[in-house]
Amino acid sequence: MNTIEIEGLTKRFGGFTAVDQVSFEVPRGQLLAVLGPNGAGKTTTLEMAEGFFAPTSGTVRVLGADPRRATRAQRARIGLVLQSTSLDPELTVRDTLVLYAQCYPAPYRVGEALALVDLADDAQTKVGALSGGQRRRVDLAIGMIGRPEVLFLDEPTTGLDPEARRRTWAAVGHLVAAGTTVVLTTHYIDEAEHLADRIIVLAGGRVVADTTPAKLRAAGGPSTISYPLPAGAPIGDLPPSLAPYLDLEHRALVVREADLTASLGALVAWADRAHLDLAELEVGPPSLEDAYLAMIGEPTTTEVRLP
Amino acid sequence: MTDPLAAAEQIASAAAAEPPTVTMSAGSAERSPLPSALLLLAAQVRYQAKLLLSSPRGLVIGVGLPIILLVASKGKAAHPDVAGYAVFGLTMTAWSTFGMRLVAARESGVLKRWRATPLPRWCYFVGSILATALVSVAAGTATVLAAFLIYGHNLGDGPHVYVTGAGAAAVVGVCFLGALAFAAATTALTSFVPSVEAALPTLMLTYFPLIIVSGVLFSIAEPHWLSTLASYLPAQPLVDAMTKVVRHTPGEGFVPLRDDVVLACWAVGGLVAAVALFRWEPHRPTASRRRSAKARS
Repeated sequence: MNTIEIEGLTKRFGGFTAVDQVSFEVPRGQLLAVLGPNGAGKTTTLEMAEGFFAPTSGTVRVLGADPRRATRAQRARIGLVLQSTSLDPELTVRDTLVLYAQCYPAPYRVGEALALVDLADDAQTKVGALSGGQRRRVDLAIGMIGRPEVLFLDEPTTGLDPEARRRTWAAVGHLVAAGTTVVLTTHYIDEAEHLADRIIVLAGGRVVADTTPAKLRAAGGPSTISYPLPAGAPIGDLPPSLAPYLDLEHRALVVREADLTASLGALVAWADRAHLDLAELEVGPPSLEDAYLAMIGEPTTTEVRLP
Repeated sequence: MTDPLAAAEQIASAAAAEPPTVTMSAGSAERSPLPSALLLLAAQVRYQAKLLLSSPRGLVIGVGLPIILLVASKGKAAHPDVAGYAVFGLTMTAWSTFGMRLVAARESGVLKRWRATPLPRWCYFVGSILATALVSVAAGTATVLAAFLIYGHNLGDGPHVYVTGAGAAAVVGVCFLGALAFAAATTALTSFVPSVEAALPTLMLTYFPLIIVSGVLFSIAEPHWLSTLASYLPAQPLVDAMTKVVRHTPGEGFVPLRDDVVLACWAVGGLVAAVALFRWEPHRPTASRRRSAKARS
């Protein structure tokens, strides 16, 4: 049996359809990233799965039960982190975790949970005195304190600096290694790629892709060479095979091909002959971002960065 | 300058190199029994009381203001209105300090998060109402003790007020019942308060008319029907009961029965309304605001 089963889920607020016929299952131990722009229906979908409100139509089952009617025992098996930080600023980090840990049958020890989110040194600090990233990790520690079988994370790293994001990712990774099923919403493609076994892309309340990071990347089109041309580059000597890729407006060479080997060889040889500096040369795999932006109907942003 | 990407990689590799020493396994929850609801209730009472006591504003209103009023009225009247001032501090704590805290907890998502935990849902609001009643009783008692310190025993109509065990127990009992009535009623009221900004005006606009018609701080000339109405609202019975207890003459009974019954009805009615109306979720943006948010994104 799947840990989460969602079928034909629809939510309307007045005349506005926030979630439209969304269906997916999540098997035990999978980390599913729900990716999408703001307003795509990610949080609405997640909060119906968490049992906060009823769908207009469709069904949600988490651990075999309707989350709207979850008993205490069922709630003890589910952890969550809401979209906005939800903590009492007056309590210390330790007191906060002790308070929540008491509610669960077999919680982590508070010290263990703090070590997992890398906050052991801040145990005696009041929550109100922490940085935004630290507070978000206290949120995560509360979400996981009961050793959940299912963990819902609603944009857990939005607004965090790169260091805080990496620390959050590490903690989530440990939970997944322990067998926890995780559903995470995000609008960071790299977060989905780094953490997820599977990615669902929502746009306008609908599922527009149900895929893996590798397949999403493959949908991003060919690999790319981009090379901003230095001043004085002998454009007239450019090999004929590269000439079609010249972007005179941006003074750059942009090659998009499935196999870049020949073009790259020709480019390097030409640059060597002309004694050009290749420091600005970029060779990239198919862009996950382009694939994602194409799916949600936004113009792609890949272009050459000019010095 | 350090390359931020290299720094991030360093952090990630450091995190990978030193995994926390935690024995991990999800799902052990289903094999262990859930903790007892009574223990969780006791923990909630402690937690809520701690939060109420951590508010300097709450302490100033609950204890500071009544003591200032006591000191200010020294020498101006034959007897200070100890009962009125104690009830003022007590009800401000139970009504406004608690009400504002509850709205803030709801709008910041703290209640929503509690709702998703295995804490029995009644534990949260019963715990918060009980904690409020205890802190409010402490505020009321502090005012009475301050009055004894400032005025000695010259509080009542007789030559002396005898502080007895029964008298003290009656003060505490009446305070507790009154605080329960106010805390339960404000719990129900906060369900209609849409935002943190709206909490103070809503609570004050319901509170001050009530204590003015009830003559908590000063007596006003009012039509008969209004004083009859006030006798069924929670503030006047609380002041009457407190006055009888504080100015009690030895040999008379302590228990002001009618007042206690009115307060008990408010406590029970408030609790029933609180259970029926209690709102866990912050107020959501309306559909039109959601649409405009979507249009922006």
